[in-house]
Order: sequence, then structure tokens, then C-alpha cells
Amino acid sequence: MRGTVYLRRYWQLYALLVLPLAYFVIFKYGPMWGVQIAFKDFNFFQGIMGSEWIGLDAFREVFHSHDFFKTLRNTLMLNILDLIVSFPAPLILAIMLFEVKFQWFKRLSQTILYIPHFISWVIIGGIVYQVFGTQSGLVNNFLASLGFGPVPFLSDKHYWLFTYLATGVWQSAGWGTILYLAALTGINRDLFEAAEVDGAGRLKRIWHITLPGLKTTIATLLIINLGNMIAIGFDRPFVIGNKMVMDYSDVLSTYVYRTGLESGQYTLATVVGLFQAVVGLIFVLGANYASRKLTDEGIL
Amino acid sequence: MAPKMTKAASLSLAAVLASMSLLSACSSNSNSNAGNAASGGGSASAGTASSPAASGKQVTLKVELFDRGNTPSPYTITNSYLTKYIQDNFGTPNNIKMEFVPVPRSEEIKKLNVLMASGSDVPDIVFTYDSATFNRYAQQGGLTDLTDLLNQYGSNLKTFLGDDALAYGVYDGKQLAIPGKRSILGKYSSFIRTDWLDALGMKAPTTTQELYDTLVAFKEKDPGKTGGKVIPYGMTIEPAQYDPLIWSFIKPMTDEQRFTLTQKLGSNEYPTLLPGFKDALQFYNKLYNEGLISKDFGLDKDKKQLTQDVQNGVVGFLTEDYPNLYYADGSYENLLKTVPTAKLDPIDPLTNSEGKHAKPAYAPNGMYIMIPKSSEHAAEAVKYLDWMAQSENMLALQNGVEGENYEMKDGIPIVKTDAPQDVVDRIYNYGDIVILANGKFTGDEEKDKQAFAAGFPPAYQQNLRKALDISVTDTFAPLLIDRPIEAESKYGTALQDKYEEFIVKAATAKPDKFESAYESALKDYMQSGGQAILDERTKLYQEKK
Repeated sequence: MRGTVYLRRYWQLYALLVLPLAYFVIFKYGPMWGVQIAFKDFNFFQGIMGSEWIGLDAFREVFHSHDFFKTLRNTLMLNILDLIVSFPAPLILAIMLFEVKFQWFKRLSQTILYIPHFISWVIIGGIVYQVFGTQSGLVNNFLASLGFGPVPFLSDKHYWLFTYLATGVWQSAGWGTILYLAALTGINRDLFEAAEVDGAGRLKRIWHITLPGLKTTIATLLIINLGNMIAIGFDRPFVIGNKMVMDYSDVLSTYVYRTGLESGQYTLATVVGLFQAVVGLIFVLGANYASRKLTDEGIL
Repeated sequence: MAPKMTKAASLSLAAVLASMSLLSACSSNSNSNAGNAASGGGSASAGTASSPAASGKQVTLKVELFDRGNTPSPYTITNSYLTKYIQDNFGTPNNIKMEFVPVPRSEEIKKLNVLMASGSDVPDIVFTYDSATFNRYAQQGGLTDLTDLLNQYGSNLKTFLGDDALAYGVYDGKQLAIPGKRSILGKYSSFIRTDWLDALGMKAPTTTQELYDTLVAFKEKDPGKTGGKVIPYGMTIEPAQYDPLIWSFIKPMTDEQRFTLTQKLGSNEYPTLLPGFKDALQFYNKLYNEGLISKDFGLDKDKKQLTQDVQNGVVGFLTEDYPNLYYADGSYENLLKTVPTAKLDPIDPLTNSEGKHAKPAYAPNGMYIMIPKSSEHAAEAVKYLDWMAQSENMLALQNGVEGENYEMKDGIPIVKTDAPQDVVDRIYNYGDIVILANGKFTGDEEKDKQAFAAGFPPAYQQNLRKALDISVTDTFAPLLIDRPIEAESKYGTALQDKYEEFIVKAATAKPDKFESAYESALKDYMQSGGQAILDERTKLYQEKK
């Protein structure tokens, strides 16, 4: 009885939920129907239902493929390096911004810092090639004018890693500060004043108040990041990568693009996609579990 | 917020949101049924897919069309002078409504895969240059067998193409594609800065060794006064730049080697396993390590950097698709703006072990024109192509209006270079509309060449003609195999990437690491499908013997 009264009163709110729910059903759950392609010899003229079941044959083919392991290794390598380099960057930036006393300066630098987030990777790729090119890049022209030889930022795989990571930080660090800054405003100001009265210096205050206050946010973001460990965005490695550094720049997403969209081997591409999803799930659950154990904070 | 919102307001908001989601769900369905009745799926069998067009009811014929994003106003890609011309001269008299389906040129294969997979939404006429894609569709049974339809409606078409070109569309004895036809089979020419040679008092190189000496001189003496920016040999990771160099190293081979060791990936043959390939890479490596070719050639996948370098006057020698430099507003014209005294002339110095200027050429076929099995208008599609193949229609589609776009001289349509822009714009994409032909057709090879050359700015026509003649000298004609190599359709596209990676790795290794770089790249290539192709070709060769 109470239930119906409640529903009659608030049904509009539930109606509002229909749209986001429909989004998930149509774009997230609907496509799962296609996962069966991984177990079929997919022929697109016969459609999903008309194609023959082949069991795990496609999985065997993928796991025997040389490229799969290379791209898997690269995906993990780039993501782990990215985690080490790009994860702390927004945290440090946020703390620094938080310590700034001039509001106008803080606002200005925050805006400048997160503008790169809105630039598409395709454009960033163009900029990177202009700036870091060996023969006519801005940086190498500058180095040459100082009498140094050219640095192959884009064509040597080790230097390329640096370029890849640096552009990642440049693009995402500013945007990443937003969550931390939001969490920081939630810390009770009295704590800082009390600490100052007690004679705690700036570093001590950061260490004992700011960082513990951000613990939950850090844990949440870390879990999300770990969940994406095996997934990797397509644009960044595809755009920044090139034939000369394929040893490092070829990752699972570009591999899926090549086999699926370019070569029309949808079955193999689906297998890799499914593999990524399963491993990703394991990572999220694992990270969540570890986080609960260590900090009592989890997101699930 | 919620409790304060008036009931009426929140109600209407919810209603709007709900109806929006309904609307979007509907609209995604309505498109696919427009124009034609519900599709019969794959059940319509080949040959009987015709529907009587003359019997009153108008049918819609959907034709794929490359969109290069270069449509001049006031036209749109699907509504231009040529699409109207086709509707008025072919569509309306036959009671057919022509509908052109634009596909972005650069994503052609990906988009085509998606269209084909959609079944009912696919155009009635689709095409690709990629033979691996054609083989894949054929193998999966997605194409209409055109043998009977060609006999019934395609007499002009058969005359135009001839058996040579038609043979390229046969798969397992069935005519599953109508190949376009190429008028000029040449591909590449080399070009050198003659003014640099003059400045150094050197004569034009005639062999690969002389070319090497010239490149060294370009680097050391910098005759173009580029201030150390000189790139003796402009290089990219595009076929037009690496192919001529590599193929000039390929050694004479037996028929068996030619058959078993060639790898056909996409529409081109690749010499990965042919004798001499390693020598080519070794030379490449030497050029790279001595700083004679573009340092970032491995990054230049669309010739953008090379084009810039040529136009800035820092490139001394390059190989390129033979006509590319000489178009109006092309690289040469832009080079002359930077360096008015520059001379960039065709030359043919790369020589093989027999002293010939060996280089690859095109097969006599152009793209693979296909009619998907789900199409209900296969007969109309063949009629359309047959109409296009008639010489007066092809002349009109390729050249526009006589007296306005061109003048006829000795049976050659000569483009009027002084025609106003809006007249020129009429036929801006004739190459993409006339899918049956690559290049202009007048019915005679020499005349085709003259007609082609006549389309260039007068000042460059002589050079263009010279480049054209170089491009057809000592060519390797591609080998036609009447049975598809399955491994090639499966691995072809991915192996093309591997092949370029191979070149880059071997070329950029330190000289003492060349051997190991070559070995590991070859291993990678073989594991990624190269071995499978080799095995299948070897087996096929033995069966044929």
C-alpha cells in the first residue's frame, strides 16, 4: 500500500531514469548479443545466427598468434608506465593549486591546465609530429641551433615511450585535478588552522591532513585505472605511434582495429575484445578487494 | 529540486524525454526500408534477381560513390552535374531512380565491410580496389554471379572490357565482379633536380651506382644552398617511394619462383621472398645510415612531409606516381614558387642486375565492381554499367560538354584549360563516377595517353609525357592466378602493414645490426601469414604442374 502511494508520488523521477537506463540497455547490454561471434565462424552475409559454431577454435588461433602477445605486452607496459607517470601528476598538481593563495591565479592556471583535455588526439598527434619530428621538428631545430644532434623522439622506440608518456601527462593531468580539488574542498578548514597553530609546516600539513583527506578519492581513481589496465584507448597509441616504433606502439586496440575492421576478421577481433573485458573485470574486482583490505575503502 | 517542481512541469519533462527516446528508436529503423520493399535477405538466388523495370513501377538503384570531400559548390556529392546527367540520360528513360551512396575515400574498405554486413542497406553496386576484400566477399558467398546477366544485358560492357580485364573478376569459375579497366598501365617514374646537376657540372645518372654517387654529391656539396637541410633522396613509407627502389633490386627468376615466392597483398604484388629483396633492403639501410634519404621517412605515411620538402626545394631526387608532380597546383608548380629556377625532370636511373629499369606496373584491371547477393536490382545494375560502357556516354561523363569543357581534335578530347571554373567543376569527380575506367578511354592506347597528357598545364605536358613513357619501360606485369589464394585474403591487409614495418626496421637498423634486424623482421612477417601464403602457393603450383 505504502509502495503504491510512493510510486504515484514520485513516478516522474523514475520516468526520468528511463533514458539513461535505455542508453545502457541499447549501447552496453545490447551489443553483448554479438559476443557469440567469438565462438562462430562469422560470415557477414549470413549474419550472426546463420554463422556456424566453431567452439574455441578462434581462441586457439588468437592465443597462438605472435602479434597477440606482442600487443598484450605493449598494452600492459604502456598502461603500467602511464599509471606510474600519469597517475600522481594530477594529485601533485591539485595539491599545489590548493596551496595557492591567489584565487585568480589558481583559476587561471586551472583553466590553462585542463584545456588540452578538450583537444582531440588527432590534433595532438599533428602537433606532436610538428614539435618532435627528427628532421624538421621544433625541438630538434632548437637542439640543432645549440649544436646538439637530433633526438629521434618519434622514430626510436625508447625515446618514443617518453614522447607517449609526456603527451599523456600534458593532455590529462589538468583535467584529473578536478576530482581532487573537489575532494579537497570537503576537508574541514579548522584542521588546517589547528595544525598551523600547533606549528606544523606546509609539508607536514600536506602529509597529515591533505593526503589522508584524499585517500578515498585516490583509492577510487586507482581502482578505475586498474580496471582499465588491459583496455587501452585507441586514438593515443594509433595517432602517436608509427611504423618505426611498432614494437612498442602496437597495442590490443590497434590490433583489434587491424584484424576486425581492416581485415574483416570479426571473429578474431571479438575474441580479443572478450578477452580484454574478462581480464578487465578481474582487475577491477582484484583492485577493489585489495583496496578494501588496505584502506577499508572500495567502490563495489 | 524534485519536491519543489510543480507536478505539471515534471510531468511534461518526463513525457518529452520518453517520447524522445521513442522517436530515436523509430528513426533508426525507418531508413533501412526507404525506397525498396523489405529485402529478401540472402534467399534471392543469383541470376533470377532481376525485376522488370519497364513494367511501370519505378525502382531505385543505389550506387556507391567515393567521397573525397572536394565537392565544389553549388554541388553536393550526391547532387552534381554528373549525377543529374546520369539520372536524365540513363535513369529516367529506364524508369530507374538513381541514388548515390557516398563513402569516404580514406575509409573505403572499413565502410564497405559495415555496409555489406548490414545486408539490406547495402548499395546495389559497390566496389573496391582491394582484391583481398573482393576474394573475401566472394568466398563468403556474398556476391551475385553475373555470368548470365552479362550475356543478357551487358554486350557493350563485354566489348569495352574485353576478356583480359573480365578475367580478373572471375572467382572459382564464376563472374563475381566486373573489373574496371585501366587505360595506362604505368605506375612510377623517378625525378631529379636537373638544376642541381647543372650546378655541380654532373651528368644525369643512368645506373643505380651513378645515382648513389650523385646523391652523395648532393649531400656534400648542397647545390641547392639549403643550409644543410638537403634531402638527397626524398623517401616515405608509401609504395610510390619504396617500390621503385626495391623492385629494381629483384633478380631474374624462374616461373616457379615468380609463382610461389610472390605475395599478393591487397591489389599489389610484394617481393618479400623474391631473390634480391634483401639486397634492396641492404642498400636502403646504407642510404639511411649515410643520411641520404629522409630521416623520418617511416613517419610519412601520406607523403605530406615529402610533398612539403619537395616544394621547399630541399629534395634532390625522388620516385613518385608518374603524373603526381605535374598537376596544376601540384608539387612542381609550388616548387617553382619557392625556387623559380628549379627544374624537376623525369629520369630513370634505377637499374637491376640485367641493366634493365625494372619496375612494377598496374594489372589491366581497375577496381572490382560487385553486386551484393542481397541486391534485388542486379539486372538494372548491369544495365547501368552497360550504359556507362558505351563510348558516347563515357565520353560525356569523363569530359563534360563538347565546346565548353573540351574540343575534339583527331578523335582526342582536348580539355579546354581556359574553361571557366563552374564549367570545370561539372566533372570534378568524373574518375569516381566512371567506375569502369581508370583513365580516359578513346579506344586507342596512344590516343588515351595524349588525351591524358592534354589535361595537364601546357608548361608541364612535355615532362609529364616523358614520365609516362618511363613508367611503362621494362615493367613487371602482375601475374594473374585464376584461383584465389585463401591465405592472401585472410592475411593480406595485415601483412601490408607488416611489410612496411619490415622495410622500416631493416632500413633504420645500425649497419652492423642489419643482419639481425632483417632476420627478426622476416620471421615476424612469416609468422603473421607470409608462411601460410608461401605454402598455399607452393601447393597450388605443384597441383598445376
